[in-house]
Formats: sequence, C-alpha cells, structure tokens
Amino acid sequence: MYVYDPVDQQLVEERVAQFRDQTRRFLDGQLSEDEFRTLRLQNGLYIQRHAPMLRIAIPYGMLASRQLRTLAHIARKWDRGYGHFSTRQNMQFNWPRLEDVPDILAELATVQMHSIQTSGNCIRNTTTDHFAGVAPDELVNPLVWCEIIRQWSTLHPEFAFLPRKFKIAVSGAVQDRAAVGVHDIGLQAVERDGEVGFRVWVGGGLGRTPITGKLIKPFVAWADLLTYLQAVLRVYNLHGRRDNKFKARIKILVKELTPEVFAEQVEEQWQLTRGGPDTLTQAFVDEIAGRFTWPQYDPAAAQQAAQAETEQAALAAADKRYARWLRTNVHAHRQPGYAAVTLSLKPTGSPPGDITADQMDAVAALADEYGFGEMRVSHEQNLILPDVRRARLPELWRKLEALNLATPNIGLLTNIIACPGGDFCALANAVSIPVAEAIQRRFDDLDYLFEIGELDLNISGCINSCGHHHVGHIGILGVDKAGEEWYQVTLGGRQSGAAHPLPDLESLNGGGAAIGRIIGPSFARDQVPDVVERLIRTYLALRDSEEERFIDVVDRVGIDPFKRDVYADPAVARPAQPQEAVHA
Amino acid sequence: MPEVYAHDAPGPHLIRGGALQQDTARRFTPEPEVPAEGQLPDDQPGWIVPLKTWKSSRAALRRHRHPVAILLEPDADLRELADDDGKLDPQGIAFIAIDFPVYTDGRGYSLAQLLRKRYGWKGELRAVGDVMIDTIHYQARVGFDSFLVKPGHDPHKALNAFKTFTVHYQKSYPAP
Repeated sequence: MYVYDPVDQQLVEERVAQFRDQTRRFLDGQLSEDEFRTLRLQNGLYIQRHAPMLRIAIPYGMLASRQLRTLAHIARKWDRGYGHFSTRQNMQFNWPRLEDVPDILAELATVQMHSIQTSGNCIRNTTTDHFAGVAPDELVNPLVWCEIIRQWSTLHPEFAFLPRKFKIAVSGAVQDRAAVGVHDIGLQAVERDGEVGFRVWVGGGLGRTPITGKLIKPFVAWADLLTYLQAVLRVYNLHGRRDNKFKARIKILVKELTPEVFAEQVEEQWQLTRGGPDTLTQAFVDEIAGRFTWPQYDPAAAQQAAQAETEQAALAAADKRYARWLRTNVHAHRQPGYAAVTLSLKPTGSPPGDITADQMDAVAALADEYGFGEMRVSHEQNLILPDVRRARLPELWRKLEALNLATPNIGLLTNIIACPGGDFCALANAVSIPVAEAIQRRFDDLDYLFEIGELDLNISGCINSCGHHHVGHIGILGVDKAGEEWYQVTLGGRQSGAAHPLPDLESLNGGGAAIGRIIGPSFARDQVPDVVERLIRTYLALRDSEEERFIDVVDRVGIDPFKRDVYADPAVARPAQPQEAVHA
Repeated sequence: MPEVYAHDAPGPHLIRGGALQQDTARRFTPEPEVPAEGQLPDDQPGWIVPLKTWKSSRAALRRHRHPVAILLEPDADLRELADDDGKLDPQGIAFIAIDFPVYTDGRGYSLAQLLRKRYGWKGELRAVGDVMIDTIHYQARVGFDSFLVKPGHDPHKALNAFKTFTVHYQKSYPAP
C-alpha cells in the first residue's frame, strides 16, 4: 500500500480547502452554474437523477482497510448506508448533499483519499491489473509506475482542461487484465535487455465510437515515461477536437491524423520535453517504491498450505459450494502458500458492485485478519483480498459465505459488469440493474452456470458504455426508442486477448481487445433473459468440447449462427425494433 | 449576508508583477473585409493586435515608437508569430496575450508552454478572457505572468489564489 508523504498529504488538504471555497462561492452566487460545473466535476461531483453523485478515487484499485472503514463511515453518515464500486476501480456515493461534500472530502483526506480528477475533461484515475503485485504471470510490477503516473497527472497545470476525459491503464503481466487496448493510453510494461520500459497504445476506447488502441511506440524506457506521456497529452490538448463533444476523444484525433502521423507529432513534441526535469531517475523511483508497504510473506506458509491440503481436498469433495468457490474465486499467487481471493459483489438480487457499510466494515476486518490490511478493487466491480494464506482458505470461505460475499461466479455469466443505469444515472437511456438481476435469476442454477463456463456479460444503460458492453463476450446496451427502453445485443467483444498472451507487436492491436458486433434489432427488456438463454443454447450446441469457451466459439464460427437461432426463436421473435446506428 | 462580489465592480482587475493594476490595453480589430496588411493601429501606447496583423505587418509595427501586444487565439499557429528563420524576435512586442474564450478550453496552457520552452519567450505573457480565481494557479505554472481577471471574480481573491497549492508534483512547471 502506498503511504502518503507530507507533500501528498498537504496537496489533498489544500484541494479540500479549495473545493470548500468553490462550493461556498457557488452557494453564495459568486460562481455561476456554468462556472461551477467543471470545477465540481474535476472533483468527482455530478448532479444526478436523485442527488449529487460523488465519485471517490481508489488509485489503481488499491485500498487499505482503514480507508474502507472510512468509506463505511461516510456511507452511514452522509449517504444511505451503501456505496457502489465502478468499472474504473473507484467508489461512488449516490446520495450525498452538495453542502456536505467538502466535509466528506476532509474526512477522506484523513485516510489519504480524495476525489481529484475522478470526472471532468482531465486525466482520470490510472487503472491497472487487479492482481498487480501478486500475479504469477507478472513481468513488471505496475504499482510503482501507476503511483508515479498518479502524482504526475494530479493537478497537472497544462492538462487540466483537455478536449475530453483521458484514461490511462497500465498492465505488467503476460495476460492483460487492465484492458490496455481500450484506453486513451494503454501501457504494457515489458523488459527489454534487462531494462523496464513500456509499449504505448493510444486511442482505444469504448463509448459512442468503440475502437481498439494503436501501438505508437513499441518501447519507451522507464526514465522517459512521463516526458513521453507529456508529449502525447500536448499533441492531444492542442489538436483534439473541441467543436463536437462526440468527436473530442483522442481516438478521433488518432484516426483522423492516422496513427503514423500522430506518432510523428508526438516524437516532435517529445524532443522538447525529453531529458527535461520530469525525466525519472532511479533515486526517485526507489523513493516512491520505498513508500509502499510491501507484504512480508511468511516463508512457512507454503509448508502450512501443503499440510492443510488433504483436509481441504476432503472439504471440497464434501461441499460442492466450497469446491466451486475454490475454482472461480481463488486465484494463483506468485508467493508459494498464498492465494488471491475475489469477494463477489455479484450475488443475485444485489446491484452489481454495490456494497453495504456493514459489509465494508466486515471486509476491512477480514483484510486485516487474512492479509496485510489491503485490498484491490477490480474493474469487474469486485473486491480482492490479495494475500491470503492457502491454509486458511476454508475459514475465510465460511466467513465470506455468512457475509454473502462468496458467490462462486467470478469469470462466469452472472459476474455481470453493469453501470448504475437509469435507476440512478441522468445520462442513461435504460435501466441496467434490473436487467442484470433478471439474467442472474435465469442462470441461478450453479451446475448450469459452471457448465457454461467462462463468459463475460456486460451491460451499459447508454452509449457512454460505463458497463463496458462493447468488450463483453455478450454485451447488452440500453437504447431509447420513442421514450421506450430497448436493448441491443453484441457478441464477440473482449477486453484483452486472453487466449493470446502478450499480443504480438505485428498485429498492432491493443492488448488483443476486440469490439463486439451487433447481432440485429434490439429487444424489449423482458426479452433479454430469453435472448441470453438462446445464445447460450446455441453455444453449448456448437462447442467442440468443454474447453472451448463461448468467446472461442464466436471467434471460430462468427455471429451468424447465433443471430439465426435468436431471431428464429418464437420466444424472442416478437416484433423488434429496427437496428440502431450507434456505431456510426 | 455573504459578501458578493458585484459583477460590475470598479477597480483594477489586472494582476501584473504580483499586484493589481488598471488594464489600459486596447484591442485593435482590423476590418474583416479588407486584407489585414496595411491596417495598423496608430502609434500610441496600449494596443493589442491580432496575430494576423502582426504576421502581415510586423516590420511596420516594429518601427512604431510604442511596441504593440499580440493577441493569440487558442487555435493560433505559433509559426506565424516567429520570423522567417523560425525564431521569435522579441523586438517591438510589448507582451503576448493568450485568449481563453471559455475557461474549459485548455489549449492556451500548451501554447504558453510552447512559447516559453520552444520559442524562448522571456517577456510578459498575459492570460485574458475567461480567467477565473480558479484557473490562475494553473496559468501561472505554465508560464503566464499577468492575468486579466474576468468580471465577477474578485481580483483580490485571485491574487491570493496563487497560494492555493503550496506543493506540486510536476517538475517541469515552476511553482507560481
């Protein structure tokens, strides 16, 4: 866990004071609505359907137990006793009062948290692999680099008012779990001749114009990371479109210039910044790394795990639920005798990513008892205990069962990623949470769920794509037709090339990510579970073995067989809507 | 009753050299129908001319007794500001102003950096337009050293806003 030094602390406190003054000036009429809008957005404060929504940064998804306890306290004192983990590893509160926000921020600052740049047209929270630091397939630990980018991007004087929002993701592992291919900048940390550096993809993203990033630099040495980012951002800040909000993301600039010309312009700017004061030194990197509290693993844990093996195998044989949980929610760890454990925030009937204040307190206690007091938030909207001794898995599992946090569905169909949707969000065209719940209910038979196997199902309530539907193996998008909610279905999306580790440089495709294709006319809300079930039946009929996952079958046979089956099925053949032209 | 800063309050609202002073600059707007070349302000102090006027008539303007200021819009091509050798000769330039038509248009920040770092502009660099209490801290860090605070924003509060943050992360940009 990164621990603030006095400069970090001073900065967040000064930001609280600044925002307190801005809020007071707005309430006093000294700042107009227009003037205040961007200022509050840059501090994560939206005006939403019911109340303001406050988004709190969880930098690169790393969270300490005392921070989670403070979030629980905030949920009880200023909200309605729960919070929501977003798909960008942040936490959102849906019911604070504007007048209370400065006090909430002051409370957050006491545990080294803030909401700086969680919204607005600026550099947002840098995201990474939710197994960063513990994954066995890791080449480079991305955490220190994420913190360096966090600091550099925080209150950046030149890039506070970009054409549009800007998201950076960092991956350091063989398998890309950070989705570097669908970010404004995706960084893949690699080693070349013993030196750490980064592959740089630019211009990926979801939303209205989904597209995968383009590789513009196969290797930037670590020392040059910030000056190179500075050059990319400067080209974008100067030349990104500002006349049309829908064409303002960097992906449009990269597309209009072509990736080659964009890369040349970056090189030109880089000649000005390269070697400058923001060049990283070993001493600085060591200093940042030194502020992390790195886990002190017990070398005896491996032996203890081996001793517990027989007993645990017996439990798994006797209790199918435990066996399933082991299979889906317990993950390999680089340290022998340890495992990472996902706490599912996707039980049927609870909005994906929601967590109550009581659960937060309980999870914080578990993080202290079964780890080093730290957690990770995944972009799949779950929580992870990163350093659990394998010997203690059964007792942890029992406690998680009691807290309703042990649903064995990680990687499976009911681990649905969903935005808050029309129930909360003012931008949404349609609800997401009730659709997720209806699908979860349809697939609540665990035998069937496990038979289906690995499948990402993502739901967005509008084309802003906060639910990442474009990269779901099955994606569901809420659309508005004449005031009614309809749902468009896509197939074949993926957030990374899980089947093809470390995408080859020749392909130039960011991280092997792919955008799903629309199967046809959209469906009414109550048809959606039928449609998903039909798609699953087609998959089960087509797969050549249990090893062939849903996404593999879509890759192999294309979307046509699925399309044919869905629209021929009388259960879903009611008059549907004409196809939306949202990918235009 | 909270103190409200009146939108039409009199008094100086130009921050320059760390103090408030009256803004005496006048904008010269050439006739759009006529070529910019040859349309010049009279040789009096205080003129701000658009980039196209400077570009078309820099030799004539440099013969003025009173140097003019140059106003850059956010989409300005800085190569037009430079002389034929690609360098920016400060002779005859009173100061350079960059306009922020709305404060959310951040191009002026990068223009300021390029003027300071690529073109080596050492003279006065002024932020004009939608310049707020809340933006001058950033503007000072990218190289602006004078600020025309917009109506409705208390210039005294703006003067204090340089101290909003006493610590910074980015090493390439100085503290205000």
